[in-house]
Amino acid sequence: MKSIRIAVVMILVALLALTGCTKGGKKVASEANPGKTDISAHARDNTVYIGVAQDFDSLDPHHMTAAGTKEILFNVFEGLVKPDSSGQIVPAVASDVSRSADGLVYSFTLRDGILFHNGQPVEMDDVIYSIQRRWDGNDSAAYLKALNVIKELKVEGKKLDIILSEPSNEFLAALMDVYIIPKDNSELETSPVGTGPYRFVSRSVQDSLVLESFDSYWGEKGRIKTVVFKVLESADGLILGLQSGALDLVAHLSSDQTAQLDEGFNVVVGTMNIVQALYLNNAAKPFDDVRVRQALCYAIDRQAIIDIAFDGYGVPLGTSMFPSFAKYYVDSLTDYYSYDPEKARSLLSEAGYPDGFKMTISVPSNYTPHVNAATVIAEQLRDVGIHATLDLLDWSTWLSEVYSKRNFQTTVTGVTSDNMTARKLLERFGTTTGNNFTNYSNSEYDAVLAQALSESDDAAQTELYKKLEMNLTENAANVYIQDLADLIAVRNGLGGYVLYPLYVMDVSTLFWEN
Amino acid sequence: MTKKDSSIDPKSFLIVGAVITLLLVLVIIVGMFWTPYSPTAMKYGRFQSPSWNHIFGTDNFGRDIFSRIVKGAGNTLVIALSTVIIGAAGGILIGSLTGYFGGAVDVVLMRVNDALTAFPSFLLALLIVSLVGPGSKYSVVLALGLVFIPSFARVTRSEFASLRSRNFVTGARLTGAGHARIIFVYLLPNTGRVLLPALTIGFNNAVLAEASMSFLGIGVTPPDSSLGYMLSEAQSMVSIAPWYALSTGLSIVLLVFGVGLIGEGLQARAKEVD
Amino acid sequence: MNEVLLYVLKRLLILVLTMILVSFMTFGAFSLISGDPARTILGTEATEVQVRSLRHELGLDRPFMARYLSWLLGFFSGNLGVSFSYRQPVWELVGSKLMLSLSMSLLSFLMIILVAIPLGVFSYKATGKTMIWLRTIFNQLGMAIPPFFTGIVFSWIFGILFRLFTPGDFKGFSVSFWPSFMHLFFGAVCLSIPRIAMTIRMMRSTVISEMNKAYVRTAISRGNDRRSVLSRHVLKNSLVSVISFLGQTLAELVCAGIVVEQVLGIPGVGRFLVTSILHRDYPVVQTIVVILTFWVVFASFIADIINQVLDPRLRRGQT
Repeated sequence: MKSIRIAVVMILVALLALTGCTKGGKKVASEANPGKTDISAHARDNTVYIGVAQDFDSLDPHHMTAAGTKEILFNVFEGLVKPDSSGQIVPAVASDVSRSADGLVYSFTLRDGILFHNGQPVEMDDVIYSIQRRWDGNDSAAYLKALNVIKELKVEGKKLDIILSEPSNEFLAALMDVYIIPKDNSELETSPVGTGPYRFVSRSVQDSLVLESFDSYWGEKGRIKTVVFKVLESADGLILGLQSGALDLVAHLSSDQTAQLDEGFNVVVGTMNIVQALYLNNAAKPFDDVRVRQALCYAIDRQAIIDIAFDGYGVPLGTSMFPSFAKYYVDSLTDYYSYDPEKARSLLSEAGYPDGFKMTISVPSNYTPHVNAATVIAEQLRDVGIHATLDLLDWSTWLSEVYSKRNFQTTVTGVTSDNMTARKLLERFGTTTGNNFTNYSNSEYDAVLAQALSESDDAAQTELYKKLEMNLTENAANVYIQDLADLIAVRNGLGGYVLYPLYVMDVSTLFWEN
Repeated sequence: MTKKDSSIDPKSFLIVGAVITLLLVLVIIVGMFWTPYSPTAMKYGRFQSPSWNHIFGTDNFGRDIFSRIVKGAGNTLVIALSTVIIGAAGGILIGSLTGYFGGAVDVVLMRVNDALTAFPSFLLALLIVSLVGPGSKYSVVLALGLVFIPSFARVTRSEFASLRSRNFVTGARLTGAGHARIIFVYLLPNTGRVLLPALTIGFNNAVLAEASMSFLGIGVTPPDSSLGYMLSEAQSMVSIAPWYALSTGLSIVLLVFGVGLIGEGLQARAKEVD
Repeated sequence: MNEVLLYVLKRLLILVLTMILVSFMTFGAFSLISGDPARTILGTEATEVQVRSLRHELGLDRPFMARYLSWLLGFFSGNLGVSFSYRQPVWELVGSKLMLSLSMSLLSFLMIILVAIPLGVFSYKATGKTMIWLRTIFNQLGMAIPPFFTGIVFSWIFGILFRLFTPGDFKGFSVSFWPSFMHLFFGAVCLSIPRIAMTIRMMRSTVISEMNKAYVRTAISRGNDRRSVLSRHVLKNSLVSVISFLGQTLAELVCAGIVVEQVLGIPGVGRFLVTSILHRDYPVVQTIVVILTFWVVFASFIADIINQVLDPRLRRGQT
């Protein structure tokens, strides 16, 4: 008897599954009224719940490496200088910044009355401690290579002079990462203290991070009192959270996800500021032949990748630079190689591969956008006779095998610049650069790069950087694909979301409209 | 023997199971040469719900899911079969030695067995991928094969342990037969009764385990696919394209169900012979 | 009494040895797999010098045996080490997750016992072609359904359509009881379906082979009521093999939960294990693996003990 009853239940479940099936996704989404949680409750408590897809790593601001952690702790920590939403570097813990004419001395004045979140005033000792922690190399995880141009630190009361061994246009940008923390800090990992508009309240591993507006902030205080970052490592969880009213804001969504939201949300479209490309190991056969690399560029239809795998969201790129770095961006390079499989085939036969070849694309499996792009690329390459298969690697393996040992043929990944300088996007293709994982080696490139790095005039340097971009495109160093779109769902009534040209989320500008 | 079971001929389980399995294998074999659509072509429109043209709908790239399932099931089948072969070979070897000799060998090997059971198969798979190199179907097979050794070892061991003191074995020993001869000629053929169903159950577990492995990011290399890999893809889009997860998952269930029925039939028959 | 004590001591020794063996295997595996914890922590911007000095700081540049022995010493003195990625003591990270996973496993175990044992005993009574076919089909179907497939289907039907819980968002019992309970409940259902089927099948064949034994047939031929024979003798005697099977099941549940935790987004020890393996966070992985081993060996140990209490004959001749 019981087995009959179970049978009935199972059949019911199966039927339910089938009827649900015919309904389709969109319908389900529209049925989903955000009714469960009283949304106004968040506004009443002046609280915002933000969903994030990845857990945070170390909360020590000098140890954190995950982009997702830096993105959020941007609200908690500040350097002597920090970026504003237009990409300009503005004073923060310092109230005043100046540079000597020869570019060798940077002078800072410590901001008057500035306090740490624990109520202690920020002293010059704390500033020196923070710089030294990232500079002297005693703490390897904290060491910041860009600080190695520092020759000396000179303190005089509230004034700090940093003397460089050579001029550097990127030095100030590097200082943005030197977050100022108190020199007495026994619990950096568990209860970090900074000077930003929001202070750290609590953190639960793989679950949540809570911040609160800092009452004694020196600048414009955050209007939302409490901000809760909820870690939901599942795409459905994020969308359900928004639909049910548990979450108010989620960034980095895909268009498939935002399509499931109703009118209760405003979707802001920005860019991730990432150069996604099929990066080629220029030292490995057959990619050491420029004709093969160019053939790949002609064989891959970037717009089709964007349309098929990204629902049309994304900006096609032609070189290692993205449009939000307007100063350095060379628009004409985008269409240098237009999709032309015929040309690709003839270049391949010229290079001695009339029947194509086999290749593997190594992809870090935890990055869906890269896996998806690689999947479409493999299908497109089939057209010109290239048989590509994907190697899905976990992130650690990818880092050591592909990125560090350079033991790969091709890979799809994203290269970014976390401090708003072109240098990080271009220096890595110099022959001797440590992180030149593509083994790109071009004597002209190396010469221009050396010139650019030592150039102290900004305009001249910009021109040299543009020359580097052109070099990368002409020699088809890699197959540049796109700058990924960044879709941010913001609940109606929540205002003030500001896009930055770098990977940060500023919660201090948010507010609930009445 | 039992009144209960004799009311139904175990052969009928065997037949039904064999018919289901053969049909699926037939579809898979046809799929190696011909599928209704190219399983990798991305031109049929994203997230089309099931229709007469695409009976299982299309996926996030606009690929025909039915064609992909037919192709993927082939990979799943090959992986599962190879896994069972490795697991059974290793398990039978260990199990027969420990069961036959007993004593210290038994204690040590069975502790290793316990250790293998508790060792995370995910870590084992990563280890083998590191040693064999990524992108090889064989690494998954090897990893899963190792994972399956303990269960086969356990079954074989208990059967050997109960058989070794039987009269016919003692008789063989008296006639001067060596250990190897006793194990392979006298004992092994007699374990078929329990090993045969164990093989089919092992096959089921292997299909499911391969699916779990792909699910954790280790397995076939795209654009190749397996049912497990597809199911893991389908999970992230279950709210947009539930048909993807359902059709893939149910295909796994059907494949395993067919083989399971064969196992049931074999076991019922073994009991009858007893 | 002495005999029992000796037996328990022997089993405990085996337990400890197995744990050491597994920890050694894990340690060994980690020194062989590609991927470097230091590099993983430092990310793409790291320089070689940085990686080298972080490796030194984490003690990764010491020889293998030295590292293993110091880990083992630490473990036995109650120091589980500090997580590489979170830089917090491992125990603080693992403790609460362990409780969550254990609750899910025990919930699932409870379901198996509550559903499978009555069904198993009474499926013995299922006669007639139709019933046998139905029984076989449901048993085989139950075993053929992968827990992660049920996980996907449940999170879609009960999570997304019915909103009984939010996949990937486990709020915790103290925050909101029902959604959290539902979350664990459906995870437990996913885990138990195949095992209920296996247990029913196992119980059936045990009961049948027990019923065929000489003493039962004698009892019945002497005119005893079938039902009373079944409940008085057969069940008790079948219990021994059923209990060892359930012990094995209990052991497997925690390991099988890893995938279910992944699918439903339950922040248990299994999901943490996978993330930590991916981050090459050895101290965390070592701890979790040793705990899992303890669980696997301990569950069968307990099953044996119960069996010995039920059936003193078994005490002799056992390893």
